[in-house]
Amino acid sequence: MDSRTSPSLVGRRGFLMTAAAAGVGAALPPSVPRVASAQQAPTRAPVKLTFWTWENPQQRPYQHRRIQQYTQQFPNISVEFQYFTFTDLGKKVSVGYATGTAPDGFATGDWLMPTWLSRKLIAPLDVSLLGYPSLDAFRNDHAEAFVAGSIQDGKAYGYPMWFYGLENWANTKQFKEVGLDPVRDEPKTWDELGEVAKRLTIKKGDRFERQGFKFAMHAAQWTMVQFNPILLQAGGQWFDRTGKCTVNNAAGVKAMQIRSSIAKKYGAEDPADSLATAPIPWMDWLKERCSMFSAVPMGPGAIKPINPAMESEGYYKAYLMPGVTADRRYSTCYGFNLVVNSQAPREKQEVLHHLYRYMMGDLIDCWRATTPFTFARKSGWTDHPDVRNAANIDAIIRAKDTGVFLPRTPVWNELADAMHRAVQKVMLANGDPRQALDEAAAEVDRATDEFKKS
Amino acid sequence: MQAQTDALPRRAALPWPPVSYRTRIRAWGVGFVLPTIAFFAFFKYGPMLWAFWLSFTSYDMMGTPRLVGFDNFTSIAHDPMFIQALGNTLVYIAGATIFITLVALGLALAVSQRVPGSRAYMSGMFLTNVMPIVAVCLVWRFLLHPHGLVNQMLSPFGFRRIDWLTDPSLAMGAIVGVTVWRFAPYFMVVFVAAIVAIPADFYEAAEIDGAARWGRFRHITIPLIMPQLFFVIVVSALLSARIFLMPFLITGGGPGGATRVLSMLVYETGFSYMKMGRAASISVALFAIAMVFTVLQMRLFMRGEED
Repeated sequence: MDSRTSPSLVGRRGFLMTAAAAGVGAALPPSVPRVASAQQAPTRAPVKLTFWTWENPQQRPYQHRRIQQYTQQFPNISVEFQYFTFTDLGKKVSVGYATGTAPDGFATGDWLMPTWLSRKLIAPLDVSLLGYPSLDAFRNDHAEAFVAGSIQDGKAYGYPMWFYGLENWANTKQFKEVGLDPVRDEPKTWDELGEVAKRLTIKKGDRFERQGFKFAMHAAQWTMVQFNPILLQAGGQWFDRTGKCTVNNAAGVKAMQIRSSIAKKYGAEDPADSLATAPIPWMDWLKERCSMFSAVPMGPGAIKPINPAMESEGYYKAYLMPGVTADRRYSTCYGFNLVVNSQAPREKQEVLHHLYRYMMGDLIDCWRATTPFTFARKSGWTDHPDVRNAANIDAIIRAKDTGVFLPRTPVWNELADAMHRAVQKVMLANGDPRQALDEAAAEVDRATDEFKKS
Repeated sequence: MQAQTDALPRRAALPWPPVSYRTRIRAWGVGFVLPTIAFFAFFKYGPMLWAFWLSFTSYDMMGTPRLVGFDNFTSIAHDPMFIQALGNTLVYIAGATIFITLVALGLALAVSQRVPGSRAYMSGMFLTNVMPIVAVCLVWRFLLHPHGLVNQMLSPFGFRRIDWLTDPSLAMGAIVGVTVWRFAPYFMVVFVAAIVAIPADFYEAAEIDGAARWGRFRHITIPLIMPQLFFVIVVSALLSARIFLMPFLITGGGPGGATRVLSMLVYETGFSYMKMGRAASISVALFAIAMVFTVLQMRLFMRGEED
């Protein structure tokens, strides 16, 4: 402000600006949480928290940065920050609970919420500490289907962070190399995907130089994420109303046949070339060793470090995942919640609320750091130019909005491991899909029975 | 004299009865081993007893353990996952024990030929045993990849691609191979020490009597290294019974559970599925298997020595 301005004019301007700000603030819907004020420390006493999260090249550094900023603002609060691979975080937390070393707070996939809730391992959240006047306001400010998984008996147990669906990421340069048009030849059905992938595949003898399409084969969570929509598209479901696993019915067998068709029918995938040797599942796609890969949203921040040419020349495109029919295209959508360990002391639980609110307090800053991972929160980010101008944003948002959730069951780990083995039996051992699914269903039913007994 | 006698102070009576010398020596011995006993009791035998008791309970780590009798044991006896893991474990124990023993003995025979450089060669081979196990497993996962170094080395000889870790019929063999690579040199050292201790006179006498190389090995070397042979077989079997990291890191128990051993099942059941009581019952089963192996081997070797 011009220092030569008269004090009275500054006073009127200042008053008008303050009034305008107050008016805007009053006009904002009450569901928008206020960012935690830097002046309002949750406590003056020293508090040491432990927080665990999962590794993702963009999301994990952002969480870490926000936590570091928080502890700088509130020096009496320290946070021991640890992260684990996406596939191991759930087991690591389970081991923590078993050994009494579970963190005070952690991030969890939404599919594990029933596991924690059924055993009362996470504490209910006080939504008022998160900036919401009521549970309804909290619920209405987040994607409804997603937040429903974190609300039980009228209490919220998870504070949503990112929430997104999977897309079919395609290398458009490779499409053009084989005479395909990246727009016209977008695969809309699984059969079309197989045909397109077949054309994109390059093989020398029994060695794949390039795979047309690739499913991740290295971890049970990925198996579930990929198989889930195929099962639902085929008309199947994971459990019937009595809780019996129904993955081995005709629809499940059809889904498994679709799942295996890319490799077995179209010869466009090498299931033995496990991605377990890659640091991130989509590495082979980034390294252009496969033309299409089912993955989480990817933006320049994820692509440029591995493949600067792909990012600078822009020869990548996100398609919706294919469907059994062209009008039933959807993928799995999932997200992450910030949760509080029910065994943590009350004071730490309250500080965690404050921390969580701070961590997700600036969604535009979060978007810029983690583009294009979308959020569960409805407000405060969707209309921002940085969001609207992101590459492939329409496909990414549509995948989130039309996606289907992973089955929410307290025997999630047993289900995932059983399905992972079933897929391995079919893909790697040429096993019979029906038999493999029968064995998987039987395992899950045993686990469910034991859970009910306990 | 009288005055000197009167000058000596009388020893005060001890508050406890006099203890014999032998008892005092024994007490000192107990005192010296007591810390070790306490250590093992607290960190080894205490948890073992706790696990044994847990095996009779239903316990999800949150509430208190609930006694269920033999339910866990009857349940796992009919569980296809347990039966598969049991089979995998027995195959692994048998394969690893046999090949570790054979390879270690072969290496020891080669090294004990006293050719120049044999000591350095032995030291170099021993390095496999001191490498960090996690690094070993990760490197072998890359080496055994379908496009890994092993297949690339075999392809000039006309071998087609071999899916070492993703073919269910080969994956366990690959794990056994890695195990042998890691542990055989350790037991080689045991055999070398035993072989070099055999007096050369025995071999000279046998040679004079016309015994061939194989005859000398069978009738001199083997009988004289029998204690070490017994040690290697028992210890390698026990090590194999509790293997965890190699299948966990190299194959994750796959493909399709083909390399999932009992210790992995214990881990998954306890920490992933949160069924500690059931996991404890599986570990008791594993303990029983190890004990049976040990007892059988002891009886076998004792019978051999009596003969």
